[in-house]
Amino acid sequence: MNDQGMTASSTTSRAHTITALLLIVCVAIWAFLAWNAPIDRVQGVIQKILYVHVPMAIGTYLGFICTALGGALYLWKGEERWDRFALSSAEIGVLFAVMMLISGPIWGKGTWGKWWSWDLRLTLTLLLFFVYVAYLLLRSFTEGSERAARFAAVYGIAGLALIPLNYFAIKLAAGRSIHPENLGGDSLGTGMGWPFFMGMVAMVAVFAFLLVRRLEVGSLRAEQTRRLALANREGMT
Amino acid sequence: MSILWTLLWKDLLTEWRSRDRLVAMLVFALLVVVVLYFAAPPGQAGTAREHVPGLLWVAYIFAIVLGLSRSFGMELENEALSGLALAPVDRGLIFLGKAGANLVLVLIMQAVAAVAFALAFDVNLGPVALPLAGVAFLGAVGLCSLGTLFSAMAVRTTNREMILPLLMLPLMVPVLLGAVQATRGLIAEGELPFSALQLLLVTDGVFLIVSFLGFEYVLDE
Repeated sequence: MNDQGMTASSTTSRAHTITALLLIVCVAIWAFLAWNAPIDRVQGVIQKILYVHVPMAIGTYLGFICTALGGALYLWKGEERWDRFALSSAEIGVLFAVMMLISGPIWGKGTWGKWWSWDLRLTLTLLLFFVYVAYLLLRSFTEGSERAARFAAVYGIAGLALIPLNYFAIKLAAGRSIHPENLGGDSLGTGMGWPFFMGMVAMVAVFAFLLVRRLEVGSLRAEQTRRLALANREGMT
Repeated sequence: MSILWTLLWKDLLTEWRSRDRLVAMLVFALLVVVVLYFAAPPGQAGTAREHVPGLLWVAYIFAIVLGLSRSFGMELENEALSGLALAPVDRGLIFLGKAGANLVLVLIMQAVAAVAFALAFDVNLGPVALPLAGVAFLGAVGLCSLGTLFSAMAVRTTNREMILPLLMLPLMVPVLLGAVQATRGLIAEGELPFSALQLLLVTDGVFLIVSFLGFEYVLDE
């Protein structure tokens, strides 16, 4: 392995260690705080699902913003690593979205009495989930990594650009929302703010942990493809 | 400008000679009318009016997805798509030519399907025909612009018929909602709701800009 390769490898290894440590510490503190948080007087113990659900939403949005950002940088600079960043973010975003779409209805059934409501935020989140599932399908249906990267970048940017439009469109159609408003300083009971805050920090740590590992898988695959192509070319000559 | 007209004319002439896309879209839209009639038979006049806008736009969207899937598919024959991509013209013009030709076909389909809906569901669309045509046009502009962009992507994928609706439908919601609200306002009250019109205009603007800029990256040799 040359010097450059060894430097890249040690940087990756350091990133693994840092994100793993961050993950363990943040998740441990989050779990402790959520476990010891007071039971909500109205909703009961089911309210604790929100300590998982809201941070999942943060991870979902983070994933999709990074996908569009990676796509835009790929189209601008043409560097493959930005495409890997976009793809990794989309996969992690979809993972978070699935967990959010599972945890939300469980809480909804216990609190609203029904699994789903065609509410503004629920509908928008569901559409966003479909956009990014379509993003992943588009990649898997497109032959050629460069073409797949280009198409996906355009679709990822279009998906994010249309979120505000979708927001206003659904608001116009639905009118009112039964989803709780965004968390504010006075919207939580005593002792509930910290578990929420730590949950969000922990989800960012989980996101970073998964992203570093997924990026490494992506670069290893790219390296393998490059070596195979090289071996094929040498075999032919 | 002459390049744009040439591209538009080329697509319309090709369609006129084969007429396969237009016929397929028309037959499909009419079939959706029949299927929807049996799925939701018209009851009281008020109930029918309530449902027609949504059903009409569902039929439009299905037919548009079907028609647009062939928009670039026909260019695959004799490597015409490569020729188009290699042509020494701005790709934005190619996009506008393709989207314009798609728009013409969609508008014809919309007019025929609207008449079929009016007959099947016993709704008098005559008094609001002109504003309704305006709403259909605005909706079609949004759907055709983004649809043309995605069609150019889908044609280069392995499952082009499957991927196009998956790409289009989640992003079509603003057009669909704006158009349905506007159509409902026209049919029920005879008035065009300003908020819906605003949404349609803004959506069309955003879709056109996103598609125009994105097309540069999706047309392959």
